[in-house]
Amino acid sequence: MSHITEEIKTSIQGVEPAEVSYPEKGYHYALEASLENLPDIVRFFDKKCFYLECLLCTDYTDTLELVYLFNTHLAPCRFKVTLKIDPQRPIAPSMSAIFDSAYWYEREIHEFYGVLFTGHPNMTYLFLHNDIHEYPLRKGKVPVPPEDKERLDSFKPGEQEDSFFINLGPQHPSTHGVLRVVLKMDGEYIEQAEPVLGYLHRMHEKMAENRSYQQFLPNTGRMDYLGPMSFNLGYVLAVERLCGIPVPERAKFVRIIATELNRICSHLLWLGAYLADLGALTPFLFVFDDREKIQDVLEGITGSRLTYCYFRFGGLYNDVDDPFIEGTKAVVKRMWSRFSLYEKLVTGNVIFINRTKGIGTITKEQARKYGVAGPVLRSAGIACDLRKVEPYSGYDELEVSFPVGEHGDALNTYKIRIAEMENSLRIIEQALAKLPGGPFMAEKVPKKLKPPRGDIYQVVETPRGELGIYIVSDESDRPVRMKWRVPSFSNLMIFPELTKGALLADAVAILGSLDLVIPEIDR
Amino acid sequence: MGERGFCLEKEIIPVKFAVVEKVLDLARANSLWPVTFGLACCAIEMMATSMSRFDIDRFGAGVFRASPRQADFMIVTGTVTKKMAPVLVTLYEQMPSPKWVIAMGNCAISGGPFVFEGQYNIVEGVDLLVPVDVYVPGCPPRPEALLEGLLKLEEKITGSRRFPRVESA
Repeated sequence: MSHITEEIKTSIQGVEPAEVSYPEKGYHYALEASLENLPDIVRFFDKKCFYLECLLCTDYTDTLELVYLFNTHLAPCRFKVTLKIDPQRPIAPSMSAIFDSAYWYEREIHEFYGVLFTGHPNMTYLFLHNDIHEYPLRKGKVPVPPEDKERLDSFKPGEQEDSFFINLGPQHPSTHGVLRVVLKMDGEYIEQAEPVLGYLHRMHEKMAENRSYQQFLPNTGRMDYLGPMSFNLGYVLAVERLCGIPVPERAKFVRIIATELNRICSHLLWLGAYLADLGALTPFLFVFDDREKIQDVLEGITGSRLTYCYFRFGGLYNDVDDPFIEGTKAVVKRMWSRFSLYEKLVTGNVIFINRTKGIGTITKEQARKYGVAGPVLRSAGIACDLRKVEPYSGYDELEVSFPVGEHGDALNTYKIRIAEMENSLRIIEQALAKLPGGPFMAEKVPKKLKPPRGDIYQVVETPRGELGIYIVSDESDRPVRMKWRVPSFSNLMIFPELTKGALLADAVAILGSLDLVIPEIDR
Repeated sequence: MGERGFCLEKEIIPVKFAVVEKVLDLARANSLWPVTFGLACCAIEMMATSMSRFDIDRFGAGVFRASPRQADFMIVTGTVTKKMAPVLVTLYEQMPSPKWVIAMGNCAISGGPFVFEGQYNIVEGVDLLVPVDVYVPGCPPRPEALLEGLLKLEEKITGSRRFPRVESA
């Protein structure tokens, strides 16, 4: 990948990409941008088929730092582009015309830090509301100036003439939580969809800055309550990487088994909820039957049914026992026999096919521009599964295969999720066969973690796709900044594009196929 | 029953009206229809409660209504944010009387784990917004706990408990 650094050096003046140690940092190259050459740099990455993985802001009191993370899907080559801006006059150019995913990230940064992006078409509230008088994530108390508040509060649907609006949510059964989408309708057809988030904004990122690394651990389970193991795993991996804590082999394999069991649980719930959205209520009862069986097994080792907090820095909360191994084997055996049942119930159903085939089709180019992740990305035909492409926590010692779709429609994402459950079973079987003995916890993990100064970016593949955790440490026991790049957020970004001109009933089918978990989006 | 029932002052109304009231209460308690209103993690446990293993339908409370106008009680399942608060109050006001509220989980009871110095976005307890009849603690509560909460609500409505209480050993 060094030819890219050469190319960027020659094509843009004054850019010096520095190679950094990937195992320590989680990204390959770092470079500094200035206000003048930032658009050129971003356009360069766009031309080279990179996608904007994440855009975040960090407040270092004396300066605000914007971080743009670029990556490629097939072979990880992560660039961290930093832009320092003045906290007194925080203005930066908007990149939303080049990468569509920047559109929402910039709105988020504007609300939370007060950075104004010039050229951004819509700087209104995305998460927050007009009852908040200070920028929440700024270190000092920085009040929101009145003109900025007016700008933020300028989204008022229903006040224009000659159009009619429908509110989908926040209390609507098919938004799977408290998402609100304001739909501008032309009869039965959608002219424009505008998601309004933040109905479950629980300040996780602010909380992370207010407590120690251990204290934040239970929060990870509440962020994505359908795949808490993956979030747990991502967080402990990030902190272990930051502090250099070794993990014993046994713990790695148990982590894989627990995470994959949880992934099946999550996909099962998606299956039931999605079909319920489409009007088929029976599968809901079937999938909950399977879910309960898996939850019983996980409850035996974690002690909870839903919001697990099982992993610890350097290992696990407790060791797995024989009933867990036996239970897992029984669940795997049972699940293999269930897929044919789902096949008979759902896959061949004409109503189901008619409701999903050709609906919400995502092209490869759209998937890249919006930075979508997980099964939605793979349904568009991009073979990117981080367990394989950027392996972590012992996944490289197992044989991981993953399905890739062709059409990118809702039917494809359904098929991919079913196949993913089968793959998870295969991974569990391999991990069970290879499960080594030995300790389940690293020795000498300090009680009070004080990671060295620096930043880190850790990715894991959650049931919904790429989760990225960016932590900045200043050698104290609390992080300076912890940014969660969550998959549902980037998947929802593409929703307005997919629903343009679609029927209202199809919008529900599209929304369901994205598999959204709202607390994860809102954080 | 106070302002919720038909009869206002039990002491002075003839016995036969009190009986009607009791019969109505019995009917209400055995077919409590909840609003389909999931907020956060606890909503998944509420769904699990209504599914095959725990089967809330045994108590006649499995008819989840998507419209609050058809519902008898609301289970507040999760954190109420300041942005959500007006929506929740509207939903409550749209429900016809008599109506009840179960606060499920620590977030709905007191804000739970999300209360910290400098928090700017959550309502610390749903009872600051609407009157709550039964509190079910847990993070999230188990389905059995929600069922116990439902039995408590029935007890509150009828004045007697459906099952003998299970004494802890």
